[in-house]
Amino acid sequence: MSNTEKLASKLREIVGEANVIEDPEKLKALAVDGVIPKVLVSPGTIDETSKVVAYANAEKLAVIPMGNGSKMALGGIPRKLDILLSTRRLNRYTDYDIANLTVGVECGVTLAEIQAKLAGEGRGYFIPLDPQHSQRATVGGIVATNDSGAKRFLYGACRDFILGMKAVFPNGDIVAAGGKAVKNVAGYDMTKLMIGSMGAVGMICEITFRITPKPDAEATLLFPFDGLKEAAGFLRKLLQSKFYPASLELLSAGMAAKLPATSALKGNFIAAVALDGIEEAVARLKKDLSEMGRQEGATDVVVLTADGHREFWIAYRDIADPLAKTHPNFISLKANFALSKVMEMVGAFETGFKEAGLDGALFCSAGNGILRAVLPLGDDLGAKTAAVVGLIGRLTAESVKNGGNLIVERAPKAIKEKVNVWGQTRSDVVVVRRLKERLDPAGILNPGRYVGGV
Amino acid sequence: MEKEKMIQELAKIVGKEDVMTSEMELQLYGYDASLNRGRPDCIVMPASTEEVSMVVKFARENRIPVVARGAGTNLSGGSSPTQGGIALLFTRMNRILEIDVENQRVVVEPGAITLDIKGAIGKYGYLYHPDPSSEKATTIAGNLGENAGGAHCFKYGVTSNHVLGAEVVLYDGEVIEIGGKSLDNPGFDLPGLLVGSEGTLGMVTKLTLRMMPKTEAVKTMLAIYDTIADGANTVSDIVKAGMIPTTLEMMDNLTIKAVEAAYHVGFPEDAASILLIELDGLKDGMERLTDEVVAICKKNNVREVRVAKNEAEREKIWAGRKGAFGAVGRLRPNYLVNDPTVPRTRLPEALAQVVEIGKKYNLPIANVFHAGDGNLHPLILFDERDKDELDRVHKAAFEIMKLCADMGGTISGEHGIGVEKLKGMPLIFSEKDIAAMRNVKLAFDPEDVYNPGKLLPVEKAA
Ligand SMILES: Cc1cc2nc3c(=O)[nH]c(=O)nc-3n(C[C@H](O)[C@H](O)[C@H](O)COP(=O)(O)OP(=O)(O)OC[C@H]3O[C@@H](n4cnc5c(N)ncnc54)[C@H](O)[C@@H]3O)c2cc1C
Repeated sequence: MSNTEKLASKLREIVGEANVIEDPEKLKALAVDGVIPKVLVSPGTIDETSKVVAYANAEKLAVIPMGNGSKMALGGIPRKLDILLSTRRLNRYTDYDIANLTVGVECGVTLAEIQAKLAGEGRGYFIPLDPQHSQRATVGGIVATNDSGAKRFLYGACRDFILGMKAVFPNGDIVAAGGKAVKNVAGYDMTKLMIGSMGAVGMICEITFRITPKPDAEATLLFPFDGLKEAAGFLRKLLQSKFYPASLELLSAGMAAKLPATSALKGNFIAAVALDGIEEAVARLKKDLSEMGRQEGATDVVVLTADGHREFWIAYRDIADPLAKTHPNFISLKANFALSKVMEMVGAFETGFKEAGLDGALFCSAGNGILRAVLPLGDDLGAKTAAVVGLIGRLTAESVKNGGNLIVERAPKAIKEKVNVWGQTRSDVVVVRRLKERLDPAGILNPGRYVGGV
Repeated sequence: MEKEKMIQELAKIVGKEDVMTSEMELQLYGYDASLNRGRPDCIVMPASTEEVSMVVKFARENRIPVVARGAGTNLSGGSSPTQGGIALLFTRMNRILEIDVENQRVVVEPGAITLDIKGAIGKYGYLYHPDPSSEKATTIAGNLGENAGGAHCFKYGVTSNHVLGAEVVLYDGEVIEIGGKSLDNPGFDLPGLLVGSEGTLGMVTKLTLRMMPKTEAVKTMLAIYDTIADGANTVSDIVKAGMIPTTLEMMDNLTIKAVEAAYHVGFPEDAASILLIELDGLKDGMERLTDEVVAICKKNNVREVRVAKNEAEREKIWAGRKGAFGAVGRLRPNYLVNDPTVPRTRLPEALAQVVEIGKKYNLPIANVFHAGDGNLHPLILFDERDKDELDRVHKAAFEIMKLCADMGGTISGEHGIGVEKLKGMPLIFSEKDIAAMRNVKLAFDPEDVYNPGKLLPVEKAA
């Protein structure tokens, strides 16, 4: 028996015949940064997951977990990949307690599925997350990458509303952290260690969220501006106010052109503000913010409600998906920065695109200090590689200067080989390495993909 | 190492007058607000990160434990040096370094007093939300150490939601930055992990906190009930109605009487419970929401609802709540307070069982609690000179932890494990869960320099 056959037969013992795939053609399509897995395994329970991981640990085999595969391009190029572990059969609800505002699910459930279910309960509830890939992303993938969206301004991010977790650690231990209590300080807050850890020290298998009642009223206001200074100034004023909208976003013209609701608006920059709240508050905000926007130089105010409002934000979240489909060499960058630096950051990115001769577009969470840029390169990657690598270097330096950093969320392997996808190394990398060494001494989980190359 | 030598070496680092060793001081800094007593070998007051780093290096080389100490108000033994060593006191590092209004962050030293920070940023129209009742005395790093909560957490979260970055001295003296002014820095969420770590992972020498603009309007109400269950059910109904008040705080009759005797804030002494409710947000719709809350109270048989008409009335209501521990503390020589949490809907049941436990052990128990969060605070009253009573107190406390753990809750919502709740850890965590935490401790502090014996139960001999 070859090593791969031996591995596959052992895995079949754990998860059953139908849940191990060794077909080279199928596996080729699942390569991570060109690294082809030896097998794809889909455990049906956390216990089975634990057994698979424990086996891999004993045999020193590299494991990469995968949900629906929407963010497999994130992170460093894997040093090794033996077992691709699909979470799609881990799809149960482990807690469903609307009265206490908690929901527990296994990692393979899509956020979209949970949201649809919660929307139908009583007055309507939701997990206050609106990350990329609205239909495809599984909660495991969202939490492992700490993804978030525009509404984070009002509702916070994973770290603010995840109450508990179950994870399989590299030695196979099923480790529970937190619980369903809203406040919990017993022991270390291991959920925080796991959120955004990309599965570097454990595979997130089950998550308990605190859910939120749906707001009574919602709306979106779109403000086209001619100048960046005015657009950023308006958002800045709003950020410092007592108004607390749900989100404060800024789109470049290039980005606005890609979205149905904004493509017809005339302006070099569009400010998009979502409002969530009770009827009276939303009514007042519509009125006051419209006035404020015009005072600050907006050339128009467009109000979106009902379906228009919903569809706008879905398209906004999912902007990368259609581009990635049509552009084989699609690149997406995420920069973080200190809140007051919107103008500097947007300016630096726009200039950077121009100077590099690349057709980039960006949108920026002015309320969260996060900017995302997309570079839909055509198929002549070779000619553009140097320009792209140079640009990423300059933008990383610019982000660091503005109090943050830059990560490459997605890029062709040829680019990833030449840049630090996790941005400028920080002084805390020493702790990242020590945690990895302690918790995953054999280095079997996602080797090479996380910060510091761990 | 010889004590004299140790003191000399430390004096070289921080200066002679900032190493304290008198008998009185050693006794004083052996305490915190729990029942535990430790005794440091000396007390050291560094003035800078560099001095902290040098003290830590020295301590590590000489295998001396280092126990960080803020105001010493924690309720679980967290800052009591139970294994001796250096009590590292941050009183000299108490500056507010930067109020960065433009970026909505405030950068402070670890010994800064929570309420002082609030006062300083309040001038700019900003709030730092976490508000332990003890905030007048507590240091911000002590809040970080325990992940302190408070009466506004139902809407705004606890300390960990508001600490975004820190400077940390590792066990080997190395200084690192974690998190920062910006969100989502690449790598593990180390600020998230450090908050609540009770001084066992690293010394925090600088903190970056989130500050938020003050809201436009606030409404404070006091609802008075003839039973505890009616109050607790009101809380559940308010949540069910989709409202997110900032505050849902309750107290029982024993607490009400104690507060009234101490502060005369106008609480009716015959009430079985009172519920403090606060809403904030835009002024639009606030009156309607207030009416809805009052209607929910009425549906739950409220005796009376008082809506604060002005800031003075609001402050009076809050003074009663914030001073509750102190007031109850006057009833008997000692109290032990537990802080387990249950799913909110199980509050009435949990409270009823706490009453039973009090009866069983013949101990008065006063209850004041963060009802919105399901976070109980049974204050067990006793006299520690009575050994039999003390023994019953510990038994009752353990039973209360167990009952909450069994209800799907946890043993500590905001006060920490320290040494006091170590034996409760197995009620909610398996050996494997604890082993994973132990690995985190080993990654940060493989030689157990920082606060040994706290937070994690000792490993069972193999
Ligand atoms: C009357 C009263 C009311 C209270 N009310 C509340 C309440 O409403 N909510 C609540 O959550 N708690 C409450 N507490 C508990 C207590 O006030 C909190 O736990 C507080 O956060 C402790 O702060 P401190 O400055 O006293 O820190 P300490 O008690 O001195 O220390 C707490 C922990 O932090 C660690 N630490 C201190 N400084 C550092 C540092 N620089 N680096 C690393 N670790 C450090 C210590 O080692 C220790 O483990 C109350 C206590 C009392 C006595």
